[in-house]
Amino acid sequence: MFRKNPHHAVTLELKHNIFCLIFAMLWLLLIPVSVSAHNVTVFAWVDGDTIHTQSKFSGGKRVKNAPIVVYDVKDVLLLEGKTDENGMFSFKIPKKTALKIVLKASMGHLAVWKLQAEELGEAESKTAAQPTGMKTSLVTDSDSAGIQKNVDVSESTKMSLGRREIEEIINASLDKKLRPITEMLADAMNHEPGFTEIMGGIGYILGIVGIALYFANRKRNR
Amino acid sequence: MHISEGVLSPAVLIGGAAFAAAGVAVGMKNLEQKDIPTVGILSAAFFVASLIHVPAGPVSAHLILNGLVGLILGWKAFPAILIGLSLQALLFQFGGMTTLGVNTLNMALPAVICHHMFKNSLKTGMGKHAVTVCAFATGFFSVLLSGIMVGLSLYLTGEAFLPAAKLVVAAHLPVMFIEGILTTTCILFLKKVRPEILEGDHVS
Repeated sequence: MFRKNPHHAVTLELKHNIFCLIFAMLWLLLIPVSVSAHNVTVFAWVDGDTIHTQSKFSGGKRVKNAPIVVYDVKDVLLLEGKTDENGMFSFKIPKKTALKIVLKASMGHLAVWKLQAEELGEAESKTAAQPTGMKTSLVTDSDSAGIQKNVDVSESTKMSLGRREIEEIINASLDKKLRPITEMLADAMNHEPGFTEIMGGIGYILGIVGIALYFANRKRNR
Repeated sequence: MHISEGVLSPAVLIGGAAFAAAGVAVGMKNLEQKDIPTVGILSAAFFVASLIHVPAGPVSAHLILNGLVGLILGWKAFPAILIGLSLQALLFQFGGMTTLGVNTLNMALPAVICHHMFKNSLKTGMGKHAVTVCAFATGFFSVLLSGIMVGLSLYLTGEAFLPAAKLVVAAHLPVMFIEGILTTTCILFLKKVRPEILEGDHVS
């Protein structure tokens, strides 16, 4: 039932080449069916005094019940947790330094997200630094306005308090407004290989085949 | 199936890279000029297969196609898979450059083992039934063995072997069946259309 080898070298080679092309094209046709695959990503953002993390496989599937470990800059373990059914895990800011959030998905998958200290610093100033900030503003105000009357000092304190409050309100509403954008960013982080990458890879392989054939040919002709 | 960077211990990484280098060396030694296009095409197929996502199963998994590559290429599967994996790491961020050796070993060694177990099915004169069974077994077992090897790599780094391996194998169960069917289809097609490709190193 299987065809015998055609013992004609030239036609064989030609047919071989044609077959190669067809085979490659078949594969190209298969690609658009489902361009998704699997590495994992973890994305973290700060919201008030908590950090939210979202973990995904690159198919968009959430990583469920996977351990998340948080380290500081010196790789000291700060806390551990597990993602929920939606691949989310949230925790209070454990330390006001740059954080390294590591997702340990099963089967040797691992993803890291680094949070800069500045991102945390802003959130921190809102909660912890508030009373001290008020005090310093009061002190500096009274220092600089040392000659001023008491009424003025109390007025400027009121002013700075108001500024504090406004800042807080702005921060809160910014967090709220920015949430969809951070979530969009989280989705965009999930970078999937596109047509360019695929064609690039196939191009590389064709190039390598060409180079290999060139050298093999040179060896044979010598 | 790709192990990410930063998961394995340096010893496992270096050991894997050494074994993979040995495999690639054997493959390159067997490589003749007429094999080069076949190796390239199968490398491209392997490269692209990882994008084809298999939705079934508890975790996201994709096609691997190492069985088909191994069955046709034998030891030459090592260079083919190494090239495919390097490009996957560079362009798709699957796995990574440091885990390249281990990943190559995990995917290529089962392919070579299956090649030696089932290559007789490719010889001319075998019945269609035998070819079908052997090709399916190649597709199935190469993924199974790869899963076990991934489990072993994790175990050598300090994870418990059985849960790790079980999870990988369970996640890839649908992939095994699909690969078995795909390998069979490809081999039967090749046998009909281009039988010389399958004869591999037995034909001058």
